[in-house]
Amino acid sequence: MTDGLNSVSLAALGPSVSRRGLMLSAGAAGLAWASGAGRAFAAAENVLRVGFISPRTGPLGGFGQTDGYVLELARAALKNGLKVGDKTYDVQILDQDTQSDPSRAGQLAKSLINGDGVDLMLAVSTPETINPVADACEAAGVPCLSTVMPWEAWYFGRGAKPGAPSPFKWTYHFGFGGGEFFKTYVSQWNLIPTNKKVGVLYPNDADGNAIRANLAPALGKAGFTIVDPGPYEDGTTDYSAQIALFKKERCEIFNTFPIPPDFAAFWRQAAQQGYTKMVKICQTAKTGLFPSDIEALGQLGYNISSAAYWHKAFPYKSSLTGVSGAELADGYEKASGKQWTQQLGATLSLLDAGASALQASSNPKDKAAVAKALSTLKTTTIAGPVDFTSGPVPNVSPGPIIGTQWIRAPAGSKFRLDYVVTENATDPNVPVGAKLIPFNG
Amino acid sequence: MSASPFRVERWTTASRASVVAVALLIAALALGPGYFSDNAIDKLTTLFVYVILATMWNALAGYAGLVSIGQQAFFGLGAYFAVRLADGGMPVYGALASAAALTGLVSWPLSYFMLRLRDGEFAIGMWVVAELFHLLVNLDPLIQGETGTSLVALNRYGAFARHAYTYWMALAGMSFLLLLLFALLRSRTGAGIQAIRDNEEAAASVGVEVARTKRLIFVLAALGAGLAGSLWLANAITFQPKTYFSPQWTAYMIFMALVGGLGTFEGALIGAVIFFAIEALFGAAGVWYLIGLGATALGFALFLPRGLWGWVEARYGLSLLPVGYRLRFKTHSSSPAQTPRLAAQPRRK
Repeated sequence: MTDGLNSVSLAALGPSVSRRGLMLSAGAAGLAWASGAGRAFAAAENVLRVGFISPRTGPLGGFGQTDGYVLELARAALKNGLKVGDKTYDVQILDQDTQSDPSRAGQLAKSLINGDGVDLMLAVSTPETINPVADACEAAGVPCLSTVMPWEAWYFGRGAKPGAPSPFKWTYHFGFGGGEFFKTYVSQWNLIPTNKKVGVLYPNDADGNAIRANLAPALGKAGFTIVDPGPYEDGTTDYSAQIALFKKERCEIFNTFPIPPDFAAFWRQAAQQGYTKMVKICQTAKTGLFPSDIEALGQLGYNISSAAYWHKAFPYKSSLTGVSGAELADGYEKASGKQWTQQLGATLSLLDAGASALQASSNPKDKAAVAKALSTLKTTTIAGPVDFTSGPVPNVSPGPIIGTQWIRAPAGSKFRLDYVVTENATDPNVPVGAKLIPFNG
Repeated sequence: MSASPFRVERWTTASRASVVAVALLIAALALGPGYFSDNAIDKLTTLFVYVILATMWNALAGYAGLVSIGQQAFFGLGAYFAVRLADGGMPVYGALASAAALTGLVSWPLSYFMLRLRDGEFAIGMWVVAELFHLLVNLDPLIQGETGTSLVALNRYGAFARHAYTYWMALAGMSFLLLLLFALLRSRTGAGIQAIRDNEEAAASVGVEVARTKRLIFVLAALGAGLAGSLWLANAITFQPKTYFSPQWTAYMIFMALVGGLGTFEGALIGAVIFFAIEALFGAAGVWYLIGLGATALGFALFLPRGLWGWVEARYGLSLLPVGYRLRFKTHSSSPAQTPRLAAQPRRK
């Protein structure tokens, strides 16, 4: 009872003519807008519309920082259209910023589906972005492809049950999962001699508890002694008790899955209280993905280990744009003046795989045909192979997470830090670039 | 007996016409899925949810004087119960409606604790309750902490049917709650509610059952927020606890009630439409959109403290959906602005 029509009827009863006129036009405008007249489904037969949703601003903005550059590359590559079979289609990429808000992500997805009539949806980075978009697509029957979040949180976090058939017909995801983290950590932590005692700081949140329940016991079986002071709440400011325990147990390996500000607080206190001198490997996840996370730590940031879903040393070429890893990273640094990040390759791999799926479909304007093409997609992107025919569960193609380290950049470098590959257990094609340096070495 | 110089007025031509217009509008909207695009159906469903949120917070704060900044407790709980019930095998639209009822049920015992608190204590106390519910929901293995889950049961319905059912359910829920509130405010209890709004102590002194009346509104507001939460879930499908238990929902409710006109029935409706329009037009502006929202709310609080409708009502004496009575001089037709009103003026502090 309260859309544009109502303000029309209310205004018509009002005493002032000018106010009535104002509200009439406001109501009419509202109504015209609400019915979405004009742009809906105006796309011609030979135009493909691709929705692209990522967090460009807000707390997750670090993930989307490089998207503008990658989209530019993709648009340039698609300038003359995309050849599917013997027909060439114009491709429009409609990119949207979630502002790091999951509700907004879902609403953007719905307006791209219902308002713009997209033929394929792409979503990238974090459950807060991907899950609402994937759910909107699954419900509306629009094919959706995504990457950069643990696939378990994508598959089981959206209501799929272990052992049961997949409830998803339209949505597909590729990239790392818990199993890859396990392989990478075992490989990375055996690179240098330690006492194999791992101090773990896992918070009381979804990631922390999942890692505590699944990864920690597996690492225990692989020969590491896990020292766990118990869950802490996100936002904790005093870590003295945990640091004291790690010191007492002489944990030479340290592993954590914190939100970035918590890690900065912990690591500074650990330095003040003399724990960091003891640490040979400081392995962080969730924080330490991007140079800015590490730069914020000052001197304490050098030699922290991390894991990368893409690195410029990856030996693959982008199937869509033809650029190599090094070309992508250098191109970005030249265009933006900022240091390259692992997100560059991840975002481009999504566009690679999306374009491949459209090309593999019998008719890219037919959503069911595109979804079918996704379900059997086998292609190589700039971030490595994507293969939906042999995943651990349907709809998922697992991908690598490569052990890495942030080291002091050589003299003469434009940036303070260098990001090097130290192991390659989850994708042996990626060349190892440097030996792991002990943190306190 | 000398004739009183006043006559009591409730219905006017304008208000009769507007009630008929509203009824016709709802009837027309009910046919919506037949002629609206999917996009319009989606947006209207969102608008209906906003109307529910605005009306229910307005009832709570504007009428019962209970300023809560923790209504997201019930919004989140409504969505959570829907996920739980649907996972337990209940038909999904049944689960959505039952979830709202369950939320109302939970708020009943809760009210015995919360309504002992006054003003600021109550406001903060409700926020604490919301955080508590959030943590409890996170403990459910089905929800998997902040990871959440999705209402996959809805995918059994085709896109068109799902859109239409959710739309109808939102429209029916909104109409039902508006009608209920309208009837309630016009009843004997309603006179009590408006008396409490104007002055709680005075109301108690003339025999209004303050505690019982407040409880009634508290439960109604919880039920409404719960329904809004379950409807939002039906539209979004993804349940991530952090999103549903976020204080932003209460911030939206406050914005809508404040801008439209706190303590006026029409105001909440107008506030919802304004918020919906602002979000649609400026939502893409990111941080500046939020700054703009804040500045708008601030501007209204400073310059139009009674909101848009409060201003219209004071200026033109207009009442389209009358829940109070007015006294008018019989002899000469006074300008409406000078008309004294009974039990309809929000208290001024």
